[in-house]
Amino acid sequence: MAKARGTDGSLLHSLPWTMASLAIALLPHVPYLPFWVTIAFIGCSVWRYSIETRRAPVPSTWFRAFLAMLCFLGILATYDTISGVGPGSALLATMAALKILETRRLRDQFVLLFIAIFLVMSSLLREQYLWSLPYLVATLLFIMTAWLRMSGNPRQPVRTSFRTSGRMLAYAAPIAIAMWILFPRISTPFWSVPIDTSSGVTGLSDRMSPGDISSLSLSNAVAFRARFDGPVPAGRDLYWRALVLPRFNGRSWAAWEPTFRAGAEEQVAVRGDAYRYQVTLEPTNQQWVPALEVPYEWDLDHTSMGRMQTLNRVYPIDQRMRYTVESFIDYRAEPYMANGMRRWFLGVPEGSNPRTAELAQAMHDEAGSDQEFIRAVLRKFHEEEFFYTLEPPQLGSDPVDGFLFDTRRGFCEHYASAFSVMMRSVGIPSRIVIGYQGGEYNPRGEYLIVRQADAHAWTEVWFEGIGWQRVDPTAAVAPERIEMGIAESMFDGIGEAWGLSAPAEWLHQATLAWDALNARWNEWVLGYGPTTQEALMNSLGMEEPSWRKLMLTLVAVVAGLTLLLSGILMLRFRPPPKDRATVLYRRFVKRTGVEPRRGETPDAFAARIAGGTGIAEAAIAKVTSAYLRARYAESDPASLDELETAVRAAR
Amino acid sequence: MQRGNTLPQLPIGKDSERAALENARQALGEIILGKDDQIELALSCLLARGHLLIEDLPGLGKTMLAQSLARVLGLSFSRIQFTSDLLPADIVGVSVFRKASGEFEFQPGPVFSQLILADEVNRATPKAQSALLEAMEEHQVSVDGQTRALPEPFFVVATQNPADQIGTFPLPESQLDRFLMRLELGYPNEQNERELIVGEDRREMLSNLEATTTPDALKALQASAREVHMSDALVDYIQALVRETRKSPDIDIGLSPRGAQALAAAARAHAFVRRHSGVYPDDVQAVFTAVAGHRLKAAGNTSHRTAAELCQHVLDSVAIP
Repeated sequence: MAKARGTDGSLLHSLPWTMASLAIALLPHVPYLPFWVTIAFIGCSVWRYSIETRRAPVPSTWFRAFLAMLCFLGILATYDTISGVGPGSALLATMAALKILETRRLRDQFVLLFIAIFLVMSSLLREQYLWSLPYLVATLLFIMTAWLRMSGNPRQPVRTSFRTSGRMLAYAAPIAIAMWILFPRISTPFWSVPIDTSSGVTGLSDRMSPGDISSLSLSNAVAFRARFDGPVPAGRDLYWRALVLPRFNGRSWAAWEPTFRAGAEEQVAVRGDAYRYQVTLEPTNQQWVPALEVPYEWDLDHTSMGRMQTLNRVYPIDQRMRYTVESFIDYRAEPYMANGMRRWFLGVPEGSNPRTAELAQAMHDEAGSDQEFIRAVLRKFHEEEFFYTLEPPQLGSDPVDGFLFDTRRGFCEHYASAFSVMMRSVGIPSRIVIGYQGGEYNPRGEYLIVRQADAHAWTEVWFEGIGWQRVDPTAAVAPERIEMGIAESMFDGIGEAWGLSAPAEWLHQATLAWDALNARWNEWVLGYGPTTQEALMNSLGMEEPSWRKLMLTLVAVVAGLTLLLSGILMLRFRPPPKDRATVLYRRFVKRTGVEPRRGETPDAFAARIAGGTGIAEAAIAKVTSAYLRARYAESDPASLDELETAVRAAR
Repeated sequence: MQRGNTLPQLPIGKDSERAALENARQALGEIILGKDDQIELALSCLLARGHLLIEDLPGLGKTMLAQSLARVLGLSFSRIQFTSDLLPADIVGVSVFRKASGEFEFQPGPVFSQLILADEVNRATPKAQSALLEAMEEHQVSVDGQTRALPEPFFVVATQNPADQIGTFPLPESQLDRFLMRLELGYPNEQNERELIVGEDRREMLSNLEATTTPDALKALQASAREVHMSDALVDYIQALVRETRKSPDIDIGLSPRGAQALAAAARAHAFVRRHSGVYPDDVQAVFTAVAGHRLKAAGNTSHRTAAELCQHVLDSVAIP
């Protein structure tokens, strides 16, 4: 038997609300979903609505099954899988679209609204921004309103519906917040949400080939934020090391795989005061962990120091991480190195960049010592016509030769590369370090924002007994880049010469304020994990919060809040004042043990309970009659007494 | 225990008015078998000075009820069969030129009676309907620019046939509102039907029926019916019911203030017919379907299919104060 498929236009006023709820819930997914899913959703909605306006039947079961199969295959073809956040939300979206097509009654719309809630929640698996929460709350408000519109009186003003749903959300909010604070947080590996990070985050590259880049665009994306416990080091000391490129093939530099090296920490000796700071690192999908040179202690899990004094993590950083590092600016790293190791830092391919090798040799002979030679090279960069620019000309087959002798224009990578090649040519071990330099201090949040634009490359040279020493040739060419940082240079007009254009000042201030807000959000809300929870619980007086303790507290608090809210609601509800007759009659009703139905008259009630309660029929009749007379007939004080007597007698 | 046992009643006593009403009720009950509730409602409607619309299939005794009401209450009776070619003049009457006197003389139409049976009122054109409805509302008619008062009491019983809606002009809501009550008679039960088949001819019974009261006494009864005590609690109840009809999602158009007045008047009259010492919730419930049923417009998606179901739903959703 075919199921009824007709529509009668009765959903005309509720269907747009349901569809709008779904659309709002779907919106955060749209940029990630295959295009055709959105089209399918819109198509199904429009189709369904026109069906309702025409009072036409909804499509047949077979046709819907066919469409469902088609969508399923489409998703399989798009993603090659059906598990994961992407295909999962695509499936959910198509399910919602197809469910609209078979919606014929209010009940089906309830299902759709549940799907809408699920959809908007699942968008959190992708991204959790500051605006995600307001968006979530607004969507929930809309969905609840859609619910009210559907089940309530259609003529109710929309504002009233919104107010009602807002009130309901407000009642639920304290309980939700209590749950969020108290629900036991478990370390992530235990139950991991498959956060979708396939969209690739641009970060540091483990290759560097300055000759191939003709225009470097500076990305304003935040790389990490650092909050210092004490004073912030001066701009020229802010060298955030991430990875080291020791290998050179004549054209480009490459890194070693991030590895662990036993005893790497013992190679570092530190002096002076430590800087202690917390880094909130945005996901990079890489294993490099940036830290101020040189890190001495850190608390990020699965992270150790590699052979280049950088921090490497075993697992790629696939979500936002927060860690504390203690760094020393005054340090001595790896003062003694085996010859075999040293040769790695001297490698220049035979015959590449011959003019550079020649020049280096000549300068070295002239300088007399290695230290003098370094100074001479830096002086050369500083005094001769070398320019710092973000739009350098491309270089040919011997890029260092081309740069040093012909173009003389480049950014940090060019200078670091040229400098390093010159060092190596005369037998000084050197390597290129990639990381970030500087950062902008955000006075509103009292932390340092380090953006992708602050990415930097510099060199380190090694001397026996002294170890690795940082030399930043860029500082010789464009000292402002180091002293002031990218952001400040931009506003000072200096950046203009490099090819930078500054945004409006107010816009920049707004960006800083927004970033401060975001940072707090990341810190307190998104970063609320087991550690923060434990700290909070400790400060609230709970010692050693265990899973069990938290759960019990949660149950107690939620129960308490529920009671409190119900209490408030009950207090706010004012029952109509009862008169004496009603009080007496209620006493009698209570004694019968039967509750009158809604809308049941006392007479009907008496007829119903007669003979079933152990109270004599006559007594029941007497009470009822007396009550009716006392309450509804012309007022007569005697009738009240009569009622009282009758109630007392009815046992 | 029977329903209604606990409701305090006033004695009939020596009150001749009340005795007459009681007799009328009994006489009607002898002719129209097994329809005591409907008879009570019809009497209540009349005592509340309202008009009655009876909606049911042919042959269920609509006309019989109207005729016997007229007889028993001693009212002048006329019947207007509504057809599609009925003209307003056929209802209210015309001015005829008399050669002898050389003047126009008004020939009153059937509407100049105390009880009018408007049979199949939805068969006539809206023009004809509105002539009757104006008379119902104003208790007067205007012919040739002259306003003529109708006799008192003036009571219209209209019937319409729900199953036969083709070629009809259904009464619009605004005109349905003029009727205080709408009743459905329904089939008699088996025993009563048997009695109808084998018993005395109803027409004969009707012609033998004697008036138990006079038009003047009836007017006095109507005045007394308005005097029945209505407590604040009961007014609250009526208001709660009216409010419910307005906010219920099952109902598109709820009761108007006029509907609320009608409900109160009908409940009073019903309490009077039942000789209750005050208006009880039971009286309100008894008249609610008849008074509200034709005034409510059900929402498109309601699950309550008939007006009676809808009204019962409203009664079941409102607590009695």
